[in-house]
Amino acid sequence: MSKKILLLSSVILLSSCASTNISELGDKFLDLINPSDAATEQVDLSGDATLIAMDETGGFTISELEQLSNDDLIAIAKEKGLEDLIVLDADGNLQNRDQIINAIVESGDLMDGKTAELESLSDDALIEMANSKGMGEMIILDADGNLANRDELINALMDAAVATLAIIQNFKNSSDSFILYFSYDDTEIDEISTRTIIEHANFMQDNPSVSLRLEGHADERGTREYNLALGENRALSVKEVLGLYNLDDRITVISYGEESPVLVGSNEEAWKENRRVEFSYY
Amino acid sequence: MKNLKFILLFNLLFSFSANALLEVNILKSKEAAFPIIIAPFEVIGDSKESIDIAKIIRDNLNRSGQFRALSTDTIITNKIDFDFWQEHKKDAVVFGKVEQVSPKIYNIYIYIYDVFSEKSLYQKKITVSNSGFRRMAHFLSDKIYYVLLGQKGSFNTRLSYVTVTENNSGGRTYKLQISDSDGFNPQTVVRSPNPILSPAWSKDQRKLAYVSFKNNRSEVFVMTPFLKTIPIRLPKFDGIASSPAWHPSGKSIALTISKQGNKDIYLYDLKSKKLERLTTNISIDTEASFSPDGNSIAFTSNRTGQVQIYIKNLKSGKISRATFEGRYNAKPVFSPNGKDLALIHRVGKDYRVALLDIKSRDLTVMTSNKSDESPYFSPNGGMIIFSTNRDNKGILSIISLYNNQIVELMQKTGEVREPTWSNYSN
Repeated sequence: MSKKILLLSSVILLSSCASTNISELGDKFLDLINPSDAATEQVDLSGDATLIAMDETGGFTISELEQLSNDDLIAIAKEKGLEDLIVLDADGNLQNRDQIINAIVESGDLMDGKTAELESLSDDALIEMANSKGMGEMIILDADGNLANRDELINALMDAAVATLAIIQNFKNSSDSFILYFSYDDTEIDEISTRTIIEHANFMQDNPSVSLRLEGHADERGTREYNLALGENRALSVKEVLGLYNLDDRITVISYGEESPVLVGSNEEAWKENRRVEFSYY
Repeated sequence: MKNLKFILLFNLLFSFSANALLEVNILKSKEAAFPIIIAPFEVIGDSKESIDIAKIIRDNLNRSGQFRALSTDTIITNKIDFDFWQEHKKDAVVFGKVEQVSPKIYNIYIYIYDVFSEKSLYQKKITVSNSGFRRMAHFLSDKIYYVLLGQKGSFNTRLSYVTVTENNSGGRTYKLQISDSDGFNPQTVVRSPNPILSPAWSKDQRKLAYVSFKNNRSEVFVMTPFLKTIPIRLPKFDGIASSPAWHPSGKSIALTISKQGNKDIYLYDLKSKKLERLTTNISIDTEASFSPDGNSIAFTSNRTGQVQIYIKNLKSGKISRATFEGRYNAKPVFSPNGKDLALIHRVGKDYRVALLDIKSRDLTVMTSNKSDESPYFSPNGGMIIFSTNRDNKGILSIISLYNNQIVELMQKTGEVREPTWSNYSN
């Protein structure tokens, strides 16, 4: 059918066709036209402003990075001390282009992890952290009330962090319950979960230097924003139980909603795994 | 229907070479669409531009569900065989030409004729630079739509959406992208290894609010994609901050904040930086959407134990429940005329886009999918874009509210999700 029309239409163009009477009135569409619209007009549609993405990239826009050759990206990665991340195949071609771009994007934060984090803190924040870790007696203030032993304090906090990590690792080796599971659209904590939470409460009470981050998650069903809220409610209901042990101050709660599944899939098995709260010590 | 498929085959072939979302298929198209001819444009002079204006227009009009736009295999210059087109039941014929006047400047001519009255409905000459061809094609699509239907089109607008791709190393890359309304010309405005969600355009199209996990928690950022400015983070809160929705005035943003664990909707004034609490219920209140007049918000709440949609009149303060059918209704968004809500409605085990007539409370389920999310109206209200799953992969889907025709858009690799449609550009 359509082919026929296409063929026939070429014939029409060769033959002359009836002239049209444009002035004829009564056109069913005519009233729809805005009369002022009919004349010739200049429209400036040239050069849409280039989209600029300054977020998270440092000296490059994201579009710039995406358009660079692999060799250029490798050069930037080396400049930024990211050469360890570069993966080349046998022919010397870049294998992990996306990962390298992400690393460049994030490179502002890529110094030596924990030390960099501490270095970046203000004196006040360091003092607060030292206090919260029970290291208040280490703090030395000068006559003006300013922190006098910043470097020493950072080192001490680093040492404490290393010791804390060992404690956490030890606990991880001795216990296998770092995830609690939930029912669909539910924040209820069952008996098994309660027992697990008590185990964690005991651990925290025995080890005052550890802090806990509770990460709430949801399965993929339902809307993303509702699930973000639901994930937080799950984590909060765990925190509520831990709160009975006066541990509130050492617990932070975050939610990833459905954004960070353990198991990807649209089935009961995956959903069950993904409706969870994870214990993450630091 | 056969004609449509014939044309679509070509879409598919052309689409693969382009850096854009791919149009994959059209489902459930009915015969009710308006049959018209859009002939290829004549090119006079040197045109290195490979952009086929007529094809962009045809694809646009077909996607709306209100037209069945076919091509011809030769150009039409000035003579139209009206008898032939009458015989083949075509209602209108559109043709045009592209004429180079200097290396970068072109004149584009367009003519629209009514087949039955044999009269010119519209003609125009527009001068444009070579970089504006694609925008011009969308602009002309809106013109044709208006001339033939008397309503504004939604073609010269933008989409924003989030893409997710897996790296070789197992990590994910999230990108917030902006494209033309047909998925072409995509540009990345935010890129992150951490989740990005809920992009929302301000009404004037200058600003985009979105949620980023770059600091390992959900926070709302506002950026100006067309200017060199750094995204602003809205004030930090102790719990989640998410679900941004612009007030039509552009002066404030509704967002969900969890203070002491209670998730409520607040209005954040961008100038005074003050927060006004809009909901106070102990349950989850989230996913706010402003009515076009800015006087009400629709939102999702589980205050009765079920997830349902409520509307708060911001003048009287009165909150009323909007959905009564089914046990799960969420993510409401107002239609441009304020009379309907698009939302996600649970049917059995499936989550589907539905349309709610606010006044009559009539709820119409629009799809037969398993997991629809994030519905959003085109600015003329004629289409809804949403995300759904095909073969375990996130894709975008556009449904025409005139004949339920569905057009699906996907990426070659990775997922695409959370679409929103910009307002008209000025």
